[in-house]
Amino acid sequence: MPNPTALTPYPVTITKIVDETSDVKTFTVEFDDPEIMENFGNKPGQVCMLSIFGEGESTISITSAPTRGKFLEFTVKRVGRLTEVLHQMEVGQKFGVRGPYGNWFPYETMKGKDLFFVGGGFALAPIRSLIDFALSDQYRKDYGRVEILYGSRSYDDLCFKSDLFERWPSLSNTGIYTTVDRGDDNWKGRVGHVPGYVEEVAPSPENKFAIIAGPPIMIKFALPVMEKLGFKDEQIITTLEMRMKCCLGKCGRCNIGSKFVCVDGPVFSRAQLKGMPQEY
Amino acid sequence: MEARIVNKGQLPELLDKLAKDYDLIAPVKEETLTFFRKISCAKDAFLEYTNSDISPKGCFLPQSEKTFSYTYTGDSLEIVKPEGAKKTVLFGARPCDTRAITTLDPVFEGVKFGDEYYSSKRENTVIIGLSCTKVLSTCFCYAFGGGPCDGTGSDLLFTEIGDKYYVEVNTDKGKALVDTYSQIFSSQGADQLAKGKEELAQKLSGEFVRKVDLTGVKEVLDGNFELPYWNGDDYKKCIGCGTCTYVCPTCHCFDIFDYTTGDFTGDRIRCWDSCMYPEYTLMAGGHNPRPTRKERVRNRFMHKLKYHLDRYDMVGCVGCGRCVRKCPVNIDITKIINDLKEVAQNA
Repeated sequence: MPNPTALTPYPVTITKIVDETSDVKTFTVEFDDPEIMENFGNKPGQVCMLSIFGEGESTISITSAPTRGKFLEFTVKRVGRLTEVLHQMEVGQKFGVRGPYGNWFPYETMKGKDLFFVGGGFALAPIRSLIDFALSDQYRKDYGRVEILYGSRSYDDLCFKSDLFERWPSLSNTGIYTTVDRGDDNWKGRVGHVPGYVEEVAPSPENKFAIIAGPPIMIKFALPVMEKLGFKDEQIITTLEMRMKCCLGKCGRCNIGSKFVCVDGPVFSRAQLKGMPQEY
Repeated sequence: MEARIVNKGQLPELLDKLAKDYDLIAPVKEETLTFFRKISCAKDAFLEYTNSDISPKGCFLPQSEKTFSYTYTGDSLEIVKPEGAKKTVLFGARPCDTRAITTLDPVFEGVKFGDEYYSSKRENTVIIGLSCTKVLSTCFCYAFGGGPCDGTGSDLLFTEIGDKYYVEVNTDKGKALVDTYSQIFSSQGADQLAKGKEELAQKLSGEFVRKVDLTGVKEVLDGNFELPYWNGDDYKKCIGCGTCTYVCPTCHCFDIFDYTTGDFTGDRIRCWDSCMYPEYTLMAGGHNPRPTRKERVRNRFMHKLKYHLDRYDMVGCVGCGRCVRKCPVNIDITKIINDLKEVAQNA
């Protein structure tokens, strides 16, 4: 049955706000009606429309895995009018959420495989849902080694610091590699760009999926490295962003050729992207 | 298929009755332009028009429409939705425009997500089509499978023959309306008029000036996104005014925004948008996947001639000719189709 009331948001209340960097915050929200969360059924990689009343709506990926609990997390960078207002909100305040929308990471196909995540800057947010899904108590046994290679411009720009430096390394069979473009007094780790680090770590493509998300420039230089390492196009998974208004495949603007990123994406393999116009 | 006859002299009586029993939408002349508006009596209708300046798609997807009102204080939130659509009759829509509505249906009544606003209007509206009596120099409905007397998308189709209207009953909805006003819809002698309609359709089909042939066009667009043709003059002429998309009966893109009405209240509005505007695809971070007019013009024609077909197995154009007539710089989809056909032949 098509959902006819899809344009109406549900009220949520902010229960927690984490300052990830100077311009990125993670909002934890709970639906005012708990039954909505029970039936929400979000899968890793899906997105929601956030309603900030007076400003409109914006598409934001769900950064939490459904296995984490009866809440949703949205990691939002302050870039425009709507996100500016969202960033001024406090715990206890309300906004609207509708969703979940779009497809999801092929977590069924990925079962029994190792996962190698490559993230750049703020773009760790859309793939974090899959990281946490694969590392959850419930599904950990279904996946092999989980490695995360992540970099940003500076130490301040690294998102999810407690995940990166505390939570994820403490879990079994994980590998965390972090790098920053420019070092400073706060940073004792590696300095350099993500693609170079991937080449250095040199993950073997055997029995592995690579999940890549980052700024276009990072993707541009990372893909040839993955190719050199022997990753096939079907093994490389990414998630796209586009301007969206309805997220239901009707408002028109997020198309890449005949596909709508909001309903046919946002998750695509490199093989799928090669069959689509380069207009994203 | 059932048919009826309405004497022309009785049409005002019918329209007055419909205006009383329904919200009646009909073509109306305002200064030099023809629109579809709600009318209260028969004399407001302007039926001598050929092709309205703005199509009746707004009956189902209004130019701007409130999807809900909100009261929001930060700590509390209340959402109130508008009532569903009233019983409506859309009278006098031309065949290209009724066909266009059938191309919007799969968009709004999709497999996974419906649209309560569109569907409510669609379910509660009886569409009465009106066959053309003239063909304009910009018309090319035949190229997309339509025709001046085509009933696709009409619950009832009126065709003017002499001093009578020949009325084809295409759906149960149309039948119910005909039965309600049975003193006006006569079934006597309807069969004899069927021939008259056929003759009219035959006569009009020979009057098209524009020769448009889609042979090979879809095939040349498939997998040829970077076709050098798009580097040609058309996009250089485009001034990005968006007129083509507003007058188009099959364009369905919309924007959604909030309109503040008080300190704590506002309306969420959806309104027509245009893929010809750079802001349409511009993301908050500054990236724009269709940054220049070239990409935007290409996207519009690819949507009409390929994407809509790929997605819904329906062409995204009905040949109404409005974009051809209204474009201030004479970008012409029929020229583009014929050019692409030539590209296909030379390939």
